[in-house]
Amino acid sequence: MSGGARWGLYGRYLLVIVLGLVWLAPTYLVLVNAFRKSTEYTGTGLWKPSGDFALFGNLAKAWDAADLGSGITSTLLYSVVAPALAAIVGALAGYAITVLRLRHGFLWFIVIYGCTTFPGQMLLEPLFTGYADTQLYDTRIGLILVYVAVDVPLAAFVMRNFFMGASRSVFESGLVDGANPFTIFWRIYLPMCRTALAAIFVLEFTFVWNDFLFGLVLSQSTDVRPLMTSVATLSNAYAGNTVPVILTGGLFVSLPTIALFIATQKLFARGLTLAQL
Amino acid sequence: MSQEVLTHDADVAAAGPRVRGRTRLRHQWWSHGMVAPSVLLVAGLLYLPFLWSLYLSFTHYDGTGSPKWAGLANYHALWDDPVLTTTLRNTAYWVVGTLVLPVGLGLLIAVLTYQLKGGTWLRLPFLLPYAISGTATAVVWGFILGDHGAINSLLSALHLPGGHVSLLQNAPLNTIVMVLAQTWQSIGVNILLFVIGLQSIPRETLEAARVDGATGWTLFRQVIWPLLRPLTAVVVGLALVAGLKTFDLVWIMTQGGPGRSSETLSVTMYRDAFVGNDYGYGAAVAVLLTVVGLLVSALYLGRQAAPKREFDVTGGGR
Repeated sequence: MSGGARWGLYGRYLLVIVLGLVWLAPTYLVLVNAFRKSTEYTGTGLWKPSGDFALFGNLAKAWDAADLGSGITSTLLYSVVAPALAAIVGALAGYAITVLRLRHGFLWFIVIYGCTTFPGQMLLEPLFTGYADTQLYDTRIGLILVYVAVDVPLAAFVMRNFFMGASRSVFESGLVDGANPFTIFWRIYLPMCRTALAAIFVLEFTFVWNDFLFGLVLSQSTDVRPLMTSVATLSNAYAGNTVPVILTGGLFVSLPTIALFIATQKLFARGLTLAQL
Repeated sequence: MSQEVLTHDADVAAAGPRVRGRTRLRHQWWSHGMVAPSVLLVAGLLYLPFLWSLYLSFTHYDGTGSPKWAGLANYHALWDDPVLTTTLRNTAYWVVGTLVLPVGLGLLIAVLTYQLKGGTWLRLPFLLPYAISGTATAVVWGFILGDHGAINSLLSALHLPGGHVSLLQNAPLNTIVMVLAQTWQSIGVNILLFVIGLQSIPRETLEAARVDGATGWTLFRQVIWPLLRPLTAVVVGLALVAGLKTFDLVWIMTQGGPGRSSETLSVTMYRDAFVGNDYGYGAAVAVLLTVVGLLVSALYLGRQAAPKREFDVTGGGR
């Protein structure tokens, strides 16, 4: 390696490491201050570790203040059930359009996928008033319905692309064996696309877990309200929580998606490519 | 497609013409039943609300009773609203900011760590924030950027100027620092996509270019960048959408304030509709947001469609 190339290599390492440290600084700050005793937070020396170990005490305070227990139960329900349902519903549509060759299938596909261009703000008012009129406001069913509907277009898009590449002979031999189209879907096609299904599930789990806006508009009671909406109220100036408590809350609700991301990084990346290309 | 139907029919033809017709009919029945759940869900929960919002924007409606037709009154009021300039300008900052910073820096980091020993680990600090919600990002950055927050206290401790500047209280500084917070959170997805794009470049193409003497910047400019172009289109499209729909971060960090100085269109809509209980006006803002989104996409797609074929000499790619 020539001298110039070697210095180029050192330069690359240096730049990436410096930028990486900048990117880690917020995490460092969160950890340092989440471990700090809530009562000893004075707003000074924020960058210095305190030597306290008040993390769990802070978590208990955040837990009570924002009722994180109920938030976790309902958010876990939303972010598991809605993406799973959406994946199956979307896969059914993709299967009907490609394998069963639904008449005007492409048009139906455009109908399902076209609504991804709507900004969420166009949905909020009618969903709010409509939910109030139909007793769906502030119910878990209501939130699940919205999350499924929002997740379906992506699932249908990915599964349609996936099934277009799948061989049709599988379907025909299934027919010869006397199976009906749904059995063929459920027994053969759905298991065939396990990885793609898992990839969109991971992606949409993260989306639903991290949702703030739909929860804000469509719920109010602590046992329906999703986690992020609860955490936002924790940080509200009027709630009077101290910085260590607020940061601990923010850290805590982020751990599940960070863990999922690390565990399924390849799948996550695959989901992203499937969703975009 | 019709050709495929023909071959399929030919397969079933062995069973005789009567059965063939019946099978096809039965499949249509099944396929309608299977596409129905998706269509019903998007029709009821996405299309219907969308159209209803459009209608509401032409009415006066406070959420109780029934909407009263108002023609273009909401749009006239919006045009005269002094907040319109602020919110449009801030929305523009967000769109341009999320385009330049997360995409540009994302590309830089992806390229710097490309084929670098330990690159996967060096990338991790940038990727992780992407798994974090806008809410948690707002909570953390509210603490960093707030008055007497981490930045102020660092600047004061180092006796640097700016220790007493309220980063979130002055416009347009508040929008700019929030764009930086968004950059911190969203850069990961761009890096991830660019890395996938870089990894799909055939090794032979790079070897051939190196043999021809291309290294460093020349290699990037002449070989890598052209091959990344299709992917860049996707990344830029995503960033545009993300910039336009920014809500969580602003609402939690400043609530669009102080005053209404850091509002974006999404925040303005939420405030007018759900804080001001003016649903007709809020709907008009939502329609404006939709129109701006369509305009930006049209502009962008128009640029994408413009031929840039001179790069294709390298072949390959995807």
